Amino acid sequence: MNEKILEAEDLHYTYADGTEALKGVTLGVRKGQTTAVLGGNGAGKSTLFLSFNGIHKPSSGKILFEGKPLDYSRKGLKELRSSVGIVFQDPDSQLFSASVYQDISFGVVNMKLPEEEARRRVNEAMERTGTAHLKDKPTHCLSFGQKKRVAIAGVLAMCPKVLVLDEPTAGLDPMGVSEIMKLLKKVQKDMGLSIVISTHDIDIVPLYCDYTFIMNQGRIVLEGTPKEVFAKKDMLRSVNLRLPRIGHLMEILREKDDFDISENAVTISEARKIMKNWKNGTK
Amino acid sequence: MIFIDKYAYSSKLKHLEPLQKLLFAMLTLGVCLWADNAIISVSVLVLMGGVTALKGGTPLPVFIKLLTVPMSFLLVGVLTIAISMSDKQSAFLISLPFAGKWAGLSLSGLLDSARLFLKALGAVSCLYFLSLSTPVVELLNALRKLRVPSLIVEMMGLIYRFIFVLLETAYTITMAQDCRLGYFGLSSGYRSLSALASALFIRAYKRSEELYTSLEARGYEGELNVLEEPRHSSAREYAFCIIVNMLLIVASLFLKSSNSL
Repeated sequence: MNEKILEAEDLHYTYADGTEALKGVTLGVRKGQTTAVLGGNGAGKSTLFLSFNGIHKPSSGKILFEGKPLDYSRKGLKELRSSVGIVFQDPDSQLFSASVYQDISFGVVNMKLPEEEARRRVNEAMERTGTAHLKDKPTHCLSFGQKKRVAIAGVLAMCPKVLVLDEPTAGLDPMGVSEIMKLLKKVQKDMGLSIVISTHDIDIVPLYCDYTFIMNQGRIVLEGTPKEVFAKKDMLRSVNLRLPRIGHLMEILREKDDFDISENAVTISEARKIMKNWKNGTK
Repeated sequence: MIFIDKYAYSSKLKHLEPLQKLLFAMLTLGVCLWADNAIISVSVLVLMGGVTALKGGTPLPVFIKLLTVPMSFLLVGVLTIAISMSDKQSAFLISLPFAGKWAGLSLSGLLDSARLFLKALGAVSCLYFLSLSTPVVELLNALRKLRVPSLIVEMMGLIYRFIFVLLETAYTITMAQDCRLGYFGLSSGYRSLSALASALFIRAYKRSEELYTSLEARGYEGELNVLEEPRHSSAREYAFCIIVNMLLIVASLFLKSSNSL
């Protein structure tokens, strides 16, 4: 389970206008896990993600997929892009066709699979993402959440091993956020995917993610399980992030209101357990 | 334009093979133009309206309302044909003296222009049948099957898709400008409009770059190849299309020969 499927080693990337977006990023994505990359705006998350499937070629350093350095030849990139799929933040930039069905089929057709297999995969991807009923609707009549699902289906149809999502929950309502995250977890289980997400939505990290990297100004400044990361609250605040709300509450209870709780909690269920223990302890 | 799109997507004829509908519309259009006969033109008009409303489920008032769109243009065109000049007043039904001669409406001029009017309306109805029963995506599939160069079909598809994105962006920007009093007064209105135009251009450019990146991420290699949903086509409908047009041709031949007698 702990084998690394995607690794970056001392990755540097400079844009044509001289902006240094990545300044030596080293990280590893473990197979079958959900990895979160947290960071403020302009921390380099999107640049890092575009490096994962060879859209950006690093200025120095390297990326390893399944232990092998990326091959930037035409053939190598083609293989890589069907193994590492990216879902972009704005579905309107990703959906190029007015037909839901045609858009989902695009990636699969590029893989040059036999038509029958391609159709099977498109249908499967629509089933998995709950978009089958949308296939006769034009893209411009879909809601934002529906477009997002179609964008995910278009990548899932390629059956990637790693699914990279740039801000999958941005712009969704609370219900939409939990639906998309549950959908991703289900797909992950069914397809054995490794998932990487970038997000500002700190509260979903302890709920859905196994491992977290914190980025700031093109560097990884902190990493660990959500629990480990959220224990270092000063560090988080120094890079324009915050604790999950529950974590913040527990901190206030402990430090300002003299509650005698030593354990840290960042989700509702953890906090509940601690508070129950505390109640039983004080009685 | 946008509302035609909505009706096309809700048409019951949507799932028919687009090539078939294209053939039906174009063949009938051709026959209507070739026959050049008022009766045939009216039959085509009724046929197309009937198929669109009864088979497609598009409300008839929508079809009729659409027919009035080219009306002003048509009437002006037809009037210039109906009015002619002559030395003799007796050639006209109604006439006015004009520059030493008579200008007016003659019976043959009126008949000519009526025939032309109906012919144009009949032809337009064929195109309305097509656009009210066939979503653009389906039409593009048909063009692809007809071996129209893929560059053209792809461009049409992208333009169609991004018209809606552009409209939405334009709408949002206009509203934001309006909220900050951007359209109160003529000069501020012009200023806002120019800002809107340049902002839209820049957004469109950025959007195209993002689109390229995301297509690349799904293995884009210069061609937008996609799978089409299989569409139902049957010999019965092709037969309907052929028979209807044969009937129209026979009828117009008959009308032509009886006129020449």
